[in-house]
Amino acid sequence: MEPIVRARQLEKVYRSDGIATPALRGVDLEIYPGEFTAIAGPSGSGKSTLLHLLGGLDRPSAGEVWLEGERVDDKNATWHARLRLWKVGFVFQAYNLIPVLTALENAAFVLELRGVPPAERKKRALDALAELEMQDYAARRPNQLSGGQQQRVAVARALAAEPAVILADEPTANLDSKTGRALIEYMKRLNREKGLTFLFSTHDPRLLEHVRRIVHLEDGRVVGEEVREA
Amino acid sequence: MWSLAWKNVWRGGGRSLVTAGAVAAVVTLILLMYGFAGGATNGMFQNLTRSTGHLVVRVKGYDRIEEFDQRLLYDLEDLKASVQRTLPDADVEAVLEVPALLAGTSRSRGVVLMGLEPDGHLMQEMVDRYLAEGQRPQPGRWQAALGQALARALRVKIGDEAYAFAPGTDGLGAGAFEVSGLIDLPESNLEARTAVLDLADAQALAAPDAASRIVVFLPDLKTLSQEKRIDEAKAQLTAALPEGYEVLTWREAQPALAAILDLMTPMLLIYAALFFGLAGLLVVNTVYLSLVERIREFGIIIALGADRWKVMRMVTLESLVLVLSGALVGGVLGGALLYRGAQGFSLPGPLAQQYAEFGLPVVMYASVTPTQVVSVFVFAVLTAIASALWPAWLTGRLEPVEAIRHVA
Ligand SMILES: Nc1ncnc2c1ncn2[C@@H]1O[C@H](COP(=O)(O)OP(=O)(O)O)[C@@H](O)[C@H]1O
Ligand SMILES: [Mg+2]
Repeated sequence: MEPIVRARQLEKVYRSDGIATPALRGVDLEIYPGEFTAIAGPSGSGKSTLLHLLGGLDRPSAGEVWLEGERVDDKNATWHARLRLWKVGFVFQAYNLIPVLTALENAAFVLELRGVPPAERKKRALDALAELEMQDYAARRPNQLSGGQQQRVAVARALAAEPAVILADEPTANLDSKTGRALIEYMKRLNREKGLTFLFSTHDPRLLEHVRRIVHLEDGRVVGEEVREA
Repeated sequence: MWSLAWKNVWRGGGRSLVTAGAVAAVVTLILLMYGFAGGATNGMFQNLTRSTGHLVVRVKGYDRIEEFDQRLLYDLEDLKASVQRTLPDADVEAVLEVPALLAGTSRSRGVVLMGLEPDGHLMQEMVDRYLAEGQRPQPGRWQAALGQALARALRVKIGDEAYAFAPGTDGLGAGAFEVSGLIDLPESNLEARTAVLDLADAQALAAPDAASRIVVFLPDLKTLSQEKRIDEAKAQLTAALPEGYEVLTWREAQPALAAILDLMTPMLLIYAALFFGLAGLLVVNTVYLSLVERIREFGIIIALGADRWKVMRMVTLESLVLVLSGALVGGVLGGALLYRGAQGFSLPGPLAQQYAEFGLPVVMYASVTPTQVVSVFVFAVLTAIASALWPAWLTGRLEPVEAIRHVA
């Protein structure tokens, strides 16, 4: 089977004020359709950098990124924007949502960027909110929601867009451990029931119970991988 | 996307409100300025043409001719009839201007004797309108209305005799006129050398059956924007009259005054541009600050797949929403004030007096053209877009990764 995401010898060096910080030093990774994968590693190990490169948010210093059989890293910014709009779902650590929009409008935002007509995007956003049991909060603004609820809306926004893969960069980092675990459970259920492909990062080993595939990252290198029985 | 821009503009509250308020004030001010200037120019146009007519017919090359008798229209009755036939709705009247010496018992002055038709507009405009004392000269009674300043200089009062000398003409060349009235003309140098006679008396004195010019008043001309009709009438007259005559519009007869009126439009445009420029600085500041506060948010939006152009458009939309909502409020406010001003307004007393010297009426009627109103809103849109250029460009250059990692 063809992998959805493929990284080959991925390297990233940040340069600022003449100082070079190597963040990734040759990462190989393949994600297959329907997988639920965690990137685990301490703070500064390069998790965010890796997810950004895979999702076409940033460009590697060396190596290749492929998405659904297409080379990503050698394309221009406009192409990357289109890739993110149509193929990738992003969930970030915090402040994912646009403060002036309701949960429903936030969940529909990517569809609006794509030019989906209002009635259809509303329906799809509502369905997605329902999957995350957020339909009762559809009319609320982000500041009227708890941190966990906000993250569920962010996941719903990705879900509504039906991307090839959802990249979630420490989606639980700002949540308490119980809420964090609940969010991971929602994601796992979507993976199980809808076959959605997830790649998420965390520095919290407690969230890794029941995760089938775990890639360990340290100092910009893959230092180990576990695949467990579900 | 408009609704998102609307929400984003007002989430800041105070700053946006102040900026939109400033735009509203600018729009109101410019509309009022246009309205006032429109009222003033229309008033000046009416005032000017009231005493000069809209069109003048005279001997070809009038300005270059020195001799009094060569400047005269001798076939006056035919000419008048022909003008009236060409412009049946117009009022047509003859004026005879005679340079003369006017003497009281002890003093004399060089003057212009104006022979005016008793039933014409000009007799009303020159004499009745400015009559300070006495009455207008009656036909066939050798009476004269003198400028007050002239009467003072000659030391004559109402009922006194004044002696007019116009030697070397085809008429009597001299005559005694009873001072029937004193007129207080707005221009003081005119007042010092003008005496108005009945046309027939003036003709008997200096030029039997002739006149210096024929003055044409077109009906219902109230605003400068109707000026086209004057040009059309001029073309008709020029075509209808025989060789040897020239037809001038009020504009050609009074080029300096017309130029003053014409200066109004570019001057107003410059003021409008200036005001909008100042408001634009405030808009730039507001749009820029709201961008700085939301770098992370724009990072997320870009990460979700909005390209450079889309985020630039979002910023521009916010600027448009900000400016247009201000402009709308200003438009309503300015419109309401203009509506009141259109019923007539006056400058405060002393100012009105001063400006009357320049031919500005005391009561004016605010007036704006549709073009002016549209131009204000075009200005507003241009201001919004120009103000958004730089912030939008900055937003378009945001690198999503840096923006997301940005901590405000
Ligand atoms: N924009 C940047 N400029 C310089 N160094 C950076 C930048 N972003 C990340 N880094 C560095 O790269 C390394 C990896 O960072 P990151 O990918 O954020 O790790 P993680 O997400 O695992 O915490 C860290 O040492 C970090 O300090
Ligand atoms: Mg990170």
